[in-house]
Amino acid sequence: MSLKAYNPAWAYQEAMQQAAARWHRRGLLTAEQHQAIRARYPLEFYRPGLFLRIGLFLFTCIGVAGAAGFLALILSDVVSSSFLKVLAFLCAAGSLAVLEMSIRGSRIYHAGADNALLYCCLGWVTVLFTGVVYDVIPVASRHYESLGNPYLQLALGPLFVVFLVATIRYADRLVAAATYLLLLLLVVNAALQVPYGQALLPFVLMLVAVGAYWLVRQLHKRPDYLYYRSCLTLLEVLVLLTFYAAGNYYVVREANAMLSGAFTSTQIPLAPVFYALTAGIPLYYIVTGLRRPSRIWLLTGLLTAVCSVATLRYYRSLLPPEIAAVLAGVVLLAVAAWAARYLRPERHGLTSLPDDEQPPHFNLESLVVAQTAVVPQAPQPGFEFGGGQFGGGGAESTY
Amino acid sequence: MIPEQLLTDLQNAELLPAAQAAAIREDERTRPFSLHYELRAGLYLGITLLTGGLGVLLYQHLSEIGHGVIIGSMVLLMAASFGYAARHRQPFTWGQTRPVSFVPDYILLLGCLLFLALETYLQVQYNFFGSRYGLVTILPAALFLALAYSFDHRGVLAMSLTALASWVGVSIAPLSAFTENSFLSSRLGGAAVLLGLLLAGVGFYSDFADRKRHFAFTYISLGANLALLAATVSLFDFYLSSFLPNAVLVLLILALSAGLVWYARLRHSYLFLLMGAVYGYITVTYLFFHLLDFNDGEAAIMLGLFYFMGSAVAVILFFVNAKKFLRLA
Repeated sequence: MSLKAYNPAWAYQEAMQQAAARWHRRGLLTAEQHQAIRARYPLEFYRPGLFLRIGLFLFTCIGVAGAAGFLALILSDVVSSSFLKVLAFLCAAGSLAVLEMSIRGSRIYHAGADNALLYCCLGWVTVLFTGVVYDVIPVASRHYESLGNPYLQLALGPLFVVFLVATIRYADRLVAAATYLLLLLLVVNAALQVPYGQALLPFVLMLVAVGAYWLVRQLHKRPDYLYYRSCLTLLEVLVLLTFYAAGNYYVVREANAMLSGAFTSTQIPLAPVFYALTAGIPLYYIVTGLRRPSRIWLLTGLLTAVCSVATLRYYRSLLPPEIAAVLAGVVLLAVAAWAARYLRPERHGLTSLPDDEQPPHFNLESLVVAQTAVVPQAPQPGFEFGGGQFGGGGAESTY
Repeated sequence: MIPEQLLTDLQNAELLPAAQAAAIREDERTRPFSLHYELRAGLYLGITLLTGGLGVLLYQHLSEIGHGVIIGSMVLLMAASFGYAARHRQPFTWGQTRPVSFVPDYILLLGCLLFLALETYLQVQYNFFGSRYGLVTILPAALFLALAYSFDHRGVLAMSLTALASWVGVSIAPLSAFTENSFLSSRLGGAAVLLGLLLAGVGFYSDFADRKRHFAFTYISLGANLALLAATVSLFDFYLSSFLPNAVLVLLILALSAGLVWYARLRHSYLFLLMGAVYGYITVTYLFFHLLDFNDGEAAIMLGLFYFMGSAVAVILFFVNAKKFLRLA
């Protein structure tokens, strides 16, 4: 049996068609050549558009839930002890079987239905393992709900192995992300067992992130890289976020307080180091993102920059929020408008014109505007504006 | 790295001459990195922060700054925004305009949001419109509608529809079902359904008559969602007497869902297919459990579970064959 559930050629066909379509849009291929490439590398798998995938995902979940309820109804008469574990095992096995058969039969490839089946299967496996470990460990440790509980390894370790195997076989990006999070939890749990572990935890996690980043770059060089492309992209984002979060002052300070069981957080040792990391890492990400150029680094950098500002405002409120909002709005508006003009058509390898890498297929923007624009509401019957300054339409204060 | 492997394979398959492959390599290397969507998001975020912050400032510092100063500066800013947008306006067409830059679009949005803040302020502070509350909401609705058509702006159109909905007394924002629990009392349900149907109708008209065809998505997605959501909510509302008999509601939802699926088929739009399928499924499920007799106990539960399994499989098969189904049109 092959290690990969899907035919690796599908990933290659997909990449080829995407690249060909892009080159065709940029006028580098003639229409005939584009047609010839499409005919030479046809898409042999089934994957509909985003909305159909959402639909398939939803209705597969409904179907699986119905089947699980049906099974539970039968089992409740037969098995009394360890009912949940038997149910979990049967459901996991059933989902897995349906998943494998539908990939073989219908050639679905990350089409929503197979994602749903895989998540259901892994969810039931998690229930099963947690149930087994819960029964095995001493009663006194069962309710010690802390990341430092040494018995946590018993559940996390096998789960990590299962998720890793699932990632290798199915190349699903959410499962890959879950695998990475399990790894982080394992590391945190192990670090909390040793003396000074808690104090060194931020640096340990940063080291793990660096190691994981190196691993992701190495995996990029493998010949079967295309099969895991979406996983590696998401992992790169998560690795960058981990590295930032491990050095973020808010995270370190509050996590430290939480792990020590303190109700209020106090100043942490080496605070200046974490100030510098909180301020510096987003800048480094953004600059790297623009110079490399890499959208992953840039967007992660912008996201972490917002987090850094929030961290600063959490401990030191420099300006009242509304003035800060006005100033930030003016600055953002001015910078974006200037950059839009300055980068047209292009400077320093950057442009403000739309990229034809991905054709826009969905008009999201008008829905976002409808969601965020605040229109004065008609007052409820019986409610009069009266004299108060704050009556009626003060709805803008939601920002 | 990927293009290199792909290009080598294409050359080996003799689908690509070497000179052209070199040109593609060169283009991949020198192609500028687009910041288009990042900048647009930045502009939008800046506008919302600015108008939101200004709105709060107005209420907090009413007594400290003179009213005239506030109103004057906001009117100036608004006039400047509208003026800037008007200077960059493209000539009107019933089709889609192709503006040079996207910045004027956002400046227009800024002007509209400032108008809202200003209008709210005038009403609260000076009771400018008196007790004609309807006027407070219908005025921006009308103004934004005119602006949306003359400036060809879908965001302003969405704002106009939001104002129109709030004139009727309902919230149209896509997520309002989750944020406002009591957003549809049955008294407003009828109005919401009517408005939703009207908007969806305008959307269909603008598509088929080719009058701003690209506005159809905004009209239909907001309108159909409002009508279906309002109808579904009052279908499940056990406490308040409904504005329409449930049988009529069921028929209405099914008809509208079928209409969406038909439109999706015509325009190859998977979003509307999904919307039609989900609302239709909810209603059919409601019907099934309504007709199911729970006095039978376990047999009824069994039947219910079978229904979920069977219907899920049926819908999945429908979706999997949707491509065939959509292309048939």
